[in-house]
Amino acid sequence: MLNLLSFQASALGTLGEIGLLGALLFTLVGLWLAVMGGVRHDPRATEGARRSVWAVFGFLTLSVLVLEVALLRDDFSVRYVAAHSMRVSPTWVKVTTLWAALEGSILLWAWILSLYAFVLSLTLRRDALRPWALGAMFVSLLFFVGVVAGIASPFTPLAQVPSDGAGPNPALQNHWMMAVHPVLLYLGFVGLSVPFAYAVAALVTGRLSEHWIAVTRRWTLTAWLFLTAAIVAGGWWSYETLGWGGYWAWDPVENASFIPWLLTTAFLHSLQIQERRRQLKAWNIWLIVLAYSSTVLGTFLNRSGIVQSVHAFSNGPVGAVFLGFLAFLLVAGIALAAWRSPYLRDEGEPSAVLSRESAFLTGNWLFLVFSAMVLLGTLFPVLVEAATGKKTSVGAPFFDAFAIPLGLALLFLMGVGPLLPWRRAAGERLLMALRVPGGAGVLALLVGLLFGLRSPGVLLTVALAAYNIAGLAVLTGRAARERGSFPALLREQPRRYGAYTAHAGLVVLALGVAFSGAFKSSAEVTLTRGQPMQLMGHTAVLQGLERREYAYGSSAIATVTLDGQTYTPRSNLYVQGGNTLYPTPAVRYGVFGDTYLVTTNLDPKNGWASVRLISSPLVSWIWVGMLIIVAGAGLTLVQPRLAARRPVPAGAVAAD
Amino acid sequence: MTTSPTMLPQARRRRRSPLPVLLGGAALLLLLGFIVFGNLSRSLEYFVTPTEYKAQSEQYVGRTIRLGGLVRGAKYDRQSLKLNFTVTDYGASYPVQYQGAVSDLFKENQGVVVRGAFTPAGVFVANELLVKHSEEYRVPTSQADIKSMLKDTK
Repeated sequence: MLNLLSFQASALGTLGEIGLLGALLFTLVGLWLAVMGGVRHDPRATEGARRSVWAVFGFLTLSVLVLEVALLRDDFSVRYVAAHSMRVSPTWVKVTTLWAALEGSILLWAWILSLYAFVLSLTLRRDALRPWALGAMFVSLLFFVGVVAGIASPFTPLAQVPSDGAGPNPALQNHWMMAVHPVLLYLGFVGLSVPFAYAVAALVTGRLSEHWIAVTRRWTLTAWLFLTAAIVAGGWWSYETLGWGGYWAWDPVENASFIPWLLTTAFLHSLQIQERRRQLKAWNIWLIVLAYSSTVLGTFLNRSGIVQSVHAFSNGPVGAVFLGFLAFLLVAGIALAAWRSPYLRDEGEPSAVLSRESAFLTGNWLFLVFSAMVLLGTLFPVLVEAATGKKTSVGAPFFDAFAIPLGLALLFLMGVGPLLPWRRAAGERLLMALRVPGGAGVLALLVGLLFGLRSPGVLLTVALAAYNIAGLAVLTGRAARERGSFPALLREQPRRYGAYTAHAGLVVLALGVAFSGAFKSSAEVTLTRGQPMQLMGHTAVLQGLERREYAYGSSAIATVTLDGQTYTPRSNLYVQGGNTLYPTPAVRYGVFGDTYLVTTNLDPKNGWASVRLISSPLVSWIWVGMLIIVAGAGLTLVQPRLAARRPVPAGAVAAD
Repeated sequence: MTTSPTMLPQARRRRRSPLPVLLGGAALLLLLGFIVFGNLSRSLEYFVTPTEYKAQSEQYVGRTIRLGGLVRGAKYDRQSLKLNFTVTDYGASYPVQYQGAVSDLFKENQGVVVRGAFTPAGVFVANELLVKHSEEYRVPTSQADIKSMLKDTK
């Protein structure tokens, strides 16, 4: 602390640390005021808590800006800049270095959390939930701001200021997607703190009506939207940079982002049962507590280095602190929910087995089991090592063994759900409703067989895709005939048709996953300059090799023609990356499959290069599917415009 | 019935029986338990050194493992991308076969981790080859070094 105030500390570092300490101070003040506002029903205290959010947001914004300015100005008197940046990095890398390492990423997390809290403070209704929702946000803020201001501050002064920094992690400057994926992921993870805060507020006040669910839906959807985009964008990055032609490896930290996604998806469906039927109240509370805790679990796995992972970037006290926070969230959430469980009675008649509720509930079970299995597979090596001292890892076959059947079961339910009415369905009505989609599914299965598809997983995916799309088309077509036109439907029920769109996007994504997974093939060959070689039915010629030097490293670029089309895969070396080669594959995107060429080894002096050609059919459908899902989820957030259909009263226009 | 209707407690709203949910959940968990125990032990990949493999080779028959050690006697044909070498850890040595492009970093006495399985004849057929490389790389000089290399190499 003394050092902080001495003149040797850097100006920017001090300003950044002041921002963090100010944020911490106002977090404590805000937490106190929120609790007072809640306990004493004092609106002035609650208002004070609300304004403290603004102060926290302001101070954290200051810290983020300071760190960004320090990165861009190469101010190596700031610890984080010295450790993770360097003069010669391209500007976009300097910008993204803000979240490329531990301290900066926690700062970004805290800032996004304060951003959500800020937006929440502007939109909160004046009701009994208000102080407690703010209070719960302050608890989360207290943890993250505490960590970043205390044990993982990017601004702690340096004993000696280096003339140049150590530079960013090479793997993170290899592709622009790294600028996108982490931010999306944090927006998704942190967004879940708001529904969690509402759940806590509902539990504390005992106002367990449907109000918290109604408010929460939009927040959860927003978080889910970002999370979905983040996970697929992460896969895209992996595909575009790691040079293996895949996008998902069941890596522990990939899993850690997938678990919250599964739980949030379950929550988005089960909250509708509470909205419509006032049931599953306790279930929903548990789900959101688990979903939010799982984001902290993910960060714990990421930051503790407890599991071997490409994402694990540090050891240190941070992991233990995250574990503590995780335990606190789980214990506090469970204690609160247990305390209120006598009030969490469901209302209304129980639903029939054949009803939309049942479909949703079954889906919920599948999502829960899915996430439990992913968690088990992720943590199993840790357990084995703790028990036997042997170092192990769980291979992809384990995950595939349950992910494929569970995924197919979910695809099946996704098609049945929208066809079923709420409360109960007559068996024969359901059979009638299933006639067209079922027929389409069988037809697709037969066509698949005809075209020589033999893999059961892929055949079932194709059949279920056709069945889902036919079901959605029948429902939409019927409604459009009744209401006049499709745009009218969209205006009136954006929520329903947004959900249908998201489902259709998921079908597209599932097809991409099934085909690219089952039919991925690759071949490797060493090309000598000018000599044509056969490579998976293509004629490959190495036209040239060139080495380009940059201040931050070098690239070896191979120019290869494949049936006359030019590809330029690169191999990059980074000054801080040692001898490790970071490939940039040359990918030509196509509707039915990409052509993916990557150099695995090359020698510009002697004029040869080993290249691998990878073909994975329909792989772009995954990215397109993600875009459709995001568009659909965005549509569900649009307010329905029922008024558009009604004649507007004469006075209303003037008043508007 | 002799009790007057007014004395009857008000009929309680029928609560949903938790039985279907419990049964459904139990069935799912059983199914998945079956998958787990049929599969988890098989999908578990052990990280071993040649000496450890020698001590318990029957445990690793036919399953994917990661084997770490030093490269000896490497023979590589760049055109066919066929690589043969011996992996050793000062205690035991095994022949390794690999097919694929090999980076320049792969050389004699280099620390490597190979992922694959042993054939009954005792040849390790690798489908993945990781060369340990970093700025601070030095050749492992003991079993413990190789253990820590295995630990660090994903």
